[in-house]
Amino acid sequence: MTLNPELEGKAFPPIGFTVDPEHVARFAKAVGEDGSFVPPTFATTGEIAALAQVIADPELGLDFARVVHGEQEYEWRRPLRPGDELSARPRIASVRARGGHEFLTVETEMRDPQGELVVLARNTLIVRGRR
Amino acid sequence: MSTPVQFEDLRVGLEIPSLSKVVTREDVKAYADASGDHNPLHQSDEFARAVGFPGIIAHGMFTMAHLASCLVRWLGDPGRLLRLRVQFRSVVFMGDTIVAGGRVRDLDPERRTATLEVWVTVERDGTTEYAIKRSEAEVRPG
Repeated sequence: MTLNPELEGKAFPPIGFTVDPEHVARFAKAVGEDGSFVPPTFATTGEIAALAQVIADPELGLDFARVVHGEQEYEWRRPLRPGDELSARPRIASVRARGGHEFLTVETEMRDPQGELVVLARNTLIVRGRR
Repeated sequence: MSTPVQFEDLRVGLEIPSLSKVVTREDVKAYADASGDHNPLHQSDEFARAVGFPGIIAHGMFTMAHLASCLVRWLGDPGRLLRLRVQFRSVVFMGDTIVAGGRVRDLDPERRTATLEVWVTVERDGTTEYAIKRSEAEVRPG
């Protein structure tokens, strides 16, 4: 095990992110949409910003050169709207080893300023075993 | 958008209209910039070759976004997509054609929701592989 299993359950500080119309337009164009609505996967932008601190955590021991994206899940409690100010708070949900590989699952809650959950993201990274 | 689908239109086994596109270097570069995922595996052919690929690969999330587009186009409203869970399989290279699709697996008349099996195939030189497989969406049509 190269990942530190003791970090299971560790929560990280929330990262603020804005559903900025100009940013939405660029994202929509990149994924082939016309920008008339916020693509549901725009949540990825906030999630990636929040995950940066997990990936960089020296206690976790993640070797990013061996990482592939295994699974991804989003639960939307309501659609994202232009102008939304959200906070994305990641938590290490699980650290597992199986079949020579390791699996890191991080859950990120995205909440509005009233504390209502807007999007729940679940990201599983696979750390490929050394040959 | 086309006419939004209604719950009453759904039957178990119904396939939704597929959505295909050719993956271009310009789109993947734009996606890296817009998403904030600057992993060199998606930007540098030299880096990608050093880890055993013939060239850069698309972000898994780029392919997932395409699947979400397919579902939202069918639903007619992004608010009707409640949940999407995917497993990433084959990698996607520049020039590949990705085709998103899905099939109704379960209906819940009380909540007026449906669960779909969803996938994205990748067509390359006459072969078909799965970029996304064994994946699931929960939707609430009109």
